[in-house]
Amino acid sequence: MYIIVVGAGTVGYGLALELQSMSDHEVVLIDRDRARAAELREELGEMVVHGDGTEVVFLETVGARRADLVIAVTGDDGANLVACQVAKHWFKVARAVARVNNPRNERLFRLLGIDSTVSATGAIMAQIEVDLPEHTLIPLMRLHGSGLQLVDLHVLEGSQADGRTIRSLTLPPSTIISLVVRITGEPEVPNGDTVLRAGDEVIAVILQESEPALRSLIAAPHQAE
Amino acid sequence: MHIVIMGCGRVGSTLASRLDHEGHEVVVIDTDPYAFRRLPSDFRGEKLVGSGVDEHVLESAGIRRAEAFLSLTQGDNRNLLAAQIAKHIFNVRAVVVRVYDPFRGEIFANLGLRTFSPTNIGADMAYDALTRE
Repeated sequence: MYIIVVGAGTVGYGLALELQSMSDHEVVLIDRDRARAAELREELGEMVVHGDGTEVVFLETVGARRADLVIAVTGDDGANLVACQVAKHWFKVARAVARVNNPRNERLFRLLGIDSTVSATGAIMAQIEVDLPEHTLIPLMRLHGSGLQLVDLHVLEGSQADGRTIRSLTLPPSTIISLVVRITGEPEVPNGDTVLRAGDEVIAVILQESEPALRSLIAAPHQAE
Repeated sequence: MHIVIMGCGRVGSTLASRLDHEGHEVVVIDTDPYAFRRLPSDFRGEKLVGSGVDEHVLESAGIRRAEAFLSLTQGDNRNLLAAQIAKHIFNVRAVVVRVYDPFRGEIFANLGLRTFSPTNIGADMAYDALTRE
């Protein structure tokens, strides 16, 4: 696979080293900063190229047209977004992955068709969410490009969902309760008549914006209106 | 109409002043408060210090009721990020972006932004001046 990494900061550098050590990959690491590129070229050789990874003319010179994957990991969200969009729309690169520095931009990147986004904030939150009582909904996996994701949560005692059938709950749009693991450890493919009980683990497909709604339905104490 | 302009350089300030004179409600955003010196003393619009790639700043600028947004800073990528936030997060109808790189401009014009390239415009004008009888 031919992989272009845009941005040779700590993240880009580490990534390029990893990818290079795997066989069958051709990797180019691009940085706009001449001194940084020269320094890394000493160490990594010709795979490091000085240039602007958002500029069409420059990208032509590194053969972006035959790239299979572009990974933009600079510290600038504008550059990361544009690098991915130029790769996809001009060079028809099949897959573009962007680092998101400001978590607020994650939604925009997804709306604009960036295949995967990686944010340090998001990654660290996912690691610690299990331990935070107020974060009782754990995102497991983002589903390709659709805005849907797979989440995991536990039915809280006294929540709206506790003791009720799935059919009787007003679930947020596009939500599918996919799997219920009973407190006994018994997995069940649920249907409308399945009754949720405190302690059940629920795996669901939801739109990302539905997180708060689903959390308050299943994993938060029921508050009288 | 309500118009938000990011970048109070020569182009941004000239345009802000012109739209203000035409009676529009103008908000100019710049990260550097010193940039606002370029606005004429009779400018009635709002000056807002902050970054236009920050959704909070855009909200303070009234982006939700804006009919137009213009990205006119020196950075192509910054302009394109702010413009796409305006278009896709806040659904602003007319989004105008300055993009120095003509190829990048073309890509984003195809994606629904109103881009213009000072590079092409400048080269055309220099050529016309050169070949003028």
